[in-house]
Amino acid sequence: MSSNDDKIKSALEIALEKAQKLGALSDEEKYRLKDEELVAAGEALAKRYLNGLPLRDVEAELAGRAEEDRRMISHHLLQHLLDRSDIGHIGRDDNILAAIQHLSGDPGIVQSIRDLLQKYESAIEKAKQENLSALEAAKRNELESMGISGSAVEPAIETSREWMQIQQDLDSHYQEQLEQIKQKCKNLTDSTHTATPPEGRENAIQ
Amino acid sequence: MNLVDNFYAYLWPGETMPEMQTYGNNCNSYLVAKALPEDKHVLVDPGMVTNEARQNCLDRLISEMEKDGIKIGDVGLILNTHAHPDHYGASEAIRKMSGAQVAIGRGDDDFLKLAGGAMAQAIKEMGFEFPELNPDFYLTEGELRLGQDLVARIMLTPGHSQGHIAIYWPDAKVFMGGDLIFHGSTGRVDIPGGSAQSLKESIEQVAQLEIEYLLTGHQYGSPGIIVGQEEIKHNFDLIRRHIFPYL
Ligand SMILES: [Zn+2]
Repeated sequence: MSSNDDKIKSALEIALEKAQKLGALSDEEKYRLKDEELVAAGEALAKRYLNGLPLRDVEAELAGRAEEDRRMISHHLLQHLLDRSDIGHIGRDDNILAAIQHLSGDPGIVQSIRDLLQKYESAIEKAKQENLSALEAAKRNELESMGISGSAVEPAIETSREWMQIQQDLDSHYQEQLEQIKQKCKNLTDSTHTATPPEGRENAIQ
Repeated sequence: MNLVDNFYAYLWPGETMPEMQTYGNNCNSYLVAKALPEDKHVLVDPGMVTNEARQNCLDRLISEMEKDGIKIGDVGLILNTHAHPDHYGASEAIRKMSGAQVAIGRGDDDFLKLAGGAMAQAIKEMGFEFPELNPDFYLTEGELRLGQDLVARIMLTPGHSQGHIAIYWPDAKVFMGGDLIFHGSTGRVDIPGGSAQSLKESIEQVAQLEIEYLLTGHQYGSPGIIVGQEEIKHNFDLIRRHIFPYL
């Protein structure tokens, strides 16, 4: 168990101890504290996963939790990974896709992300082919007007303002579609995404 | 300080051990005055804005240039020999002051992309700066023509970094080598992108040139500039004999 989890646990325990002295915590307070703990545990696990903790170790840690907590931590973990994914980066990290597939339990989600990525990449490639030589010629002209030329000069189109604008437009178009897939994925685990309301689990926090 | 013709040198202090300790790390910067239309200057390896010894490297460069009557606002082009922060670090800051164009070797582009991602994050977390760089153009093997009649030869000199370039000015026989070669030593090859074999090949290629002024990227306890063809030839021999076997 991570020191983070320990810290969160002890914070909860401290709150409970205090509450015991002051009188019992209300159910809402218990529920809120529990929910905060699970969100934090999910995020902490996501961060450790992104820092190299293998998926099987993530699984082993989840397995050590009670069934309901496990579902919720796993939901928050997935949520955190999805929130960190944008169209420009999600394809670079196979780890994120592997975790999404594993945690969502739906291989269709990852397949649709991969399909979208492929469309995005070919759109970028097409835009490059359509714009690159014009942008390159414009940059060469600009440099020449400043007295800079020669065979050693290769305009850096991909960092030019004009290209970045084109790329930004494509990014936001495909990001929108990615957000829809992400939402679908979040909905998949939505039924378990918050702690059970107090009335259903009076004895959940001992 | 004026070196020869329109060439100026701004050496980062570090010829002695106490200097090295006081001033920390930064590179030597070089400048070709009035190389571009409207008397704009070309600056090679601007160094860092500030370094690990909390020295204001860029402020120092600016005031040293002013002693020579050269204003930072008149820099029209920044050439970077490679994508290490102690060389290119101040590029974007100077661009803001002058509107200068910025260039670097194509082969270090991957390094820069990494600089925008995980590597930069890791390095930042260790407390180091990894400044942004958005080059206007890349430098590749060939001729760089500046203004009416100034020509520089850009050479690909990998070894210290994959995309390391050097700049040779044939008319003045000036060679700006970045971190390829120093007085009595060579650039490190143990940094990501480094290669001992490439470094040796790059140095042998440069040894063929007729060089009167060899301008290095750091002083590291030795003079940053080697003057005279005999001295320079001697330095190549020394490196072949005493450094190559250990690379
Ligand atoms: Zn270097």
